[in-house]
Amino acid sequence: MKSSRQARSGGNQVMLTLLALVLVSSGAFGTGERKFFNDDPIAVEPESQDASRVNPWKIDLLYDLMRNQFARPGEPAGGRAQNINTIDEVPDSSWFTNRILVRPVSLEEAARGAATGKGPARGTWTVTQTKKEGDAPGFTVRDSAGETWFLQFDPKSNPEGATAAAVIANRIFWTLGYFQAEYYLSEFRPEQLQISPEATFTPPSGRKRPLKLKDLQPVLNRAARKQDGSYGTFASRLLPGKILGGFRFYGTRPDDPNDVVPHEHRRELRALEVFGAWTNLVDMKALNTMDTLITENGRSRVRHYLLDVGSTFGMGANGPREWTEGYEYLFEGDKLLKRLVSFGTYLQPWQTVPYQKNKAVGRFEGDRFDPDAWKTRIPASAVLRARDDDNFWAARRVMAFSDELIRAVVKTSQFSDPAAEKLLADALIKRRDRIGEVYLTRINPLVNFSLDPSGVFTFENAAVKSGVAKAPASYTVSWSLFDNGTGAMHPLGETNSSAESVPAVSALPATPGSFVTVEVRAVDPPHPSWTKPVRTTFRRMENGWKLIGLERMEEREPQMVEKR
Amino acid sequence: MVFLIFLLVCSTQTFAQGARGLASSPPQQRGQAGQAKPASHKSDKPDQTEQLAALSTEAASQDTSAPVQESRAGQIEARQAEKSKESHPRQSNKAEKYIRQLEGVLLEDSAGLSPAVGSVYHGGGLALGANYRKYFGDNTFWNVKGLYSFKNYKLVEAKTESRDHLGKRLSFGSRLGWRDATQVGYYGLGTNTQQEARANFRFQESYLDGHAIFKPVRWVPLKGSVAYEHFNTTQGQGLAPSIETRYTSQSAPGLGADPTYLHSQLSAGIDWRQAADYTRKGGLYQATFHDYRNNNGGVFSFQRLDGDLVQHLPLLRETWVLSMRGRVQTTLNDNDLVPYFLLPALGSGSTLRAFATDRFRDRHSMLMSAEFRWIPNPFGLDMALFYDAGKVTSRRRDLNFKGLKSDVGIGARFHGPFSTPLRLELAVGNEGWKVVVAANAAF
Repeated sequence: MKSSRQARSGGNQVMLTLLALVLVSSGAFGTGERKFFNDDPIAVEPESQDASRVNPWKIDLLYDLMRNQFARPGEPAGGRAQNINTIDEVPDSSWFTNRILVRPVSLEEAARGAATGKGPARGTWTVTQTKKEGDAPGFTVRDSAGETWFLQFDPKSNPEGATAAAVIANRIFWTLGYFQAEYYLSEFRPEQLQISPEATFTPPSGRKRPLKLKDLQPVLNRAARKQDGSYGTFASRLLPGKILGGFRFYGTRPDDPNDVVPHEHRRELRALEVFGAWTNLVDMKALNTMDTLITENGRSRVRHYLLDVGSTFGMGANGPREWTEGYEYLFEGDKLLKRLVSFGTYLQPWQTVPYQKNKAVGRFEGDRFDPDAWKTRIPASAVLRARDDDNFWAARRVMAFSDELIRAVVKTSQFSDPAAEKLLADALIKRRDRIGEVYLTRINPLVNFSLDPSGVFTFENAAVKSGVAKAPASYTVSWSLFDNGTGAMHPLGETNSSAESVPAVSALPATPGSFVTVEVRAVDPPHPSWTKPVRTTFRRMENGWKLIGLERMEEREPQMVEKR
Repeated sequence: MVFLIFLLVCSTQTFAQGARGLASSPPQQRGQAGQAKPASHKSDKPDQTEQLAALSTEAASQDTSAPVQESRAGQIEARQAEKSKESHPRQSNKAEKYIRQLEGVLLEDSAGLSPAVGSVYHGGGLALGANYRKYFGDNTFWNVKGLYSFKNYKLVEAKTESRDHLGKRLSFGSRLGWRDATQVGYYGLGTNTQQEARANFRFQESYLDGHAIFKPVRWVPLKGSVAYEHFNTTQGQGLAPSIETRYTSQSAPGLGADPTYLHSQLSAGIDWRQAADYTRKGGLYQATFHDYRNNNGGVFSFQRLDGDLVQHLPLLRETWVLSMRGRVQTTLNDNDLVPYFLLPALGSGSTLRAFATDRFRDRHSMLMSAEFRWIPNPFGLDMALFYDAGKVTSRRRDLNFKGLKSDVGIGARFHGPFSTPLRLELAVGNEGWKVVVAANAAF
């Protein structure tokens, strides 16, 4: 004979099952806007339309700089990124490929990056074009194997500096998930060069004519030369597909039908706030990006590259970066006025931050690094719209770079001075840790949620696991049934635990297609923001529960720390 | 088929209402639209039977006639399909077009007709005109320019320049021109002259020169030129009386003379400034020798040596810059007669800035300037407090620190990385205030 308590419990279970059935049926047959679809969370962003009608364009540098500096284009800030899936992640797309954090990335893989070969073939290099844009000296060659390469050099004042920075940053951004050109360190002697009969040159007269060897001399005159007479260079392989020009950090490309999310609302572009701060990628502008039209499986689509990531760390194209870079935009009215009236005594961090002198590294350090204060040279719309959840997403990827991985990537620079390699790697490690301290702690940092078939809910605290914060006293976990058809939630109860593994408050429905929402907040945490819950939603599958929803911040929410 | 079209239209309307993300809107947004609001998480839970009934009612009350996309991917694909219908090549807006045109005029060394802004002769004010350039080699062009200022100063000049030979080490060219300066001031010789003593003269100069600059290394400029120069002086225009009414050939050497010179010039120095027209560090140490040989029997032939020292000292990462300049111009032979209009002179927007143009003239001059510069914006605006002091003398041994004319002032310089297109300064000396508007660096 059942006790009354057992009878009550059995009755509750029946009611719960009935309730779940109703919720499932309303989700399956209700025709209102459902929160979750059966294919959530998507892992790949669809690109359904043929983009073969996309035309190359040229973005005017000055206009682009002025518009970003003074007009701040794009939609209002404060909204959630629009290309994330329902579990707050970025699906793979023609913009981004999930690598580090999502899967193991070996030292060898990171050090190789996008490279698929060994760089330009030895022998005669045929110059096909001189460089038209950008400050860095360079030109284009076709190697003895017929491959086309863009060559750039170090300035005389800082041998190894610019080329090393470009190669290291190239590996880092590839590992983070961005499309990168294939970069290789290489060298050549002037005797290797010959001129293509088709190569043309536009002198100051504006009249195009066949290129001559002497036209390369001004470029080579600016480049650092090794003791054996060769020139060190980094060689960038011609991108596959049709070159279309750069993309902007706001709006969409009007002729690309698959480009439907405004770029300022793409998380991987917003995340450059963090990745840029880490690597000091200050020169974030359309001219340093590239779209190409590629055709795969009979369908054409546009692929988006962060092309020129060489303006990173402490180097610019022509020497150490400007003192203000990374600290101030080109124009800031309030700072201008304060300096003007104070006769320059209104001092900023860039004026006093100490740097270790090293010509190959330039002005790069980690001890005084403040990720919140870091700035691009010109405001970038996507970066300005980065929210705390975007930065958290990015910071986890930065923190996934182990010391060993960072040192392996920096080693690809082939610095002749071991001190340069150590200095740069040490600074990157310090800056990584600072990013973790700032962005992993700013919002509730719980991650890796799962709900096993027996109803045990587990998670991890990314900040605690990274060693940048202490664990809270405990966690409060709230359970609800969720109606996917209406969005209604039916509370089931709360549990408290100091562990990161919590059994369900009561038996959960076993009916496939039912939904459970679990919210977790920290109790007495080291950071007050952790009391705001992370909301997760699980769908019951045949063999257990699948995470299909994760919300760390509201759809619209102001930033806790505004960019100064 | 009709259903499919209907589906597409409905889904499009849904997306147009802002459901643009790959993740759906949160429940709160739907609640605002009149649908179910999220249940309370508090412990005052309603009875499960009531909750079940309520949820069942809500589920049954859904509008079953509204079709939606059946998948997340389908939602996105529908948006892409919709955009596909409206895809169009990017069009530059008006602002972008204007900026491109402006870049073409200001930044590119383009051939053809273009507006010209400049100066005919110091003290003549801003001159406007036109410029026509045509290339006949990669870096070789001829150029014709005409300028006219509101003081009726005029310049017509044709020149040819050939640049960047020998790996950008050698440039050379030639000029043929005529200028008319209608009201150049003259105040007498020496430093102790009165403002009220001003007289004006007009001079017209015809010139033909050949010049070259050779830099064996980037920071060593060697310059040379040979020029035919003919001066024709006449009655001055403007408010001040003409020179011949106030001065004689004793007080204005060469008054009434119209010499013709073969003017040779050689200079050598070291120059490690970032650019000649804008820099925050580096210096220029340079000496220039002039030989003016009068073709009309040797009278008024003379030789002059100019020495220039400029040093810029950046402080605290170019937060401040101390800039100093010293200049001496000296006539080498005491017996040589130098016409009044070719005497070393002080007073102008780049020498003694609170004094009128060419306020002081004599056979020798010295000038010192010091600037305390601070940088409100490293990419566009410098400010400066400055001090100028100088004197002109008839004897070289009088070039000392006694009896200097001086001024102080404050200035704003709007600059680019290599040039200073606008310099605004306010200077004050013992002859009053002066506003300087210039299109170059002070030094």
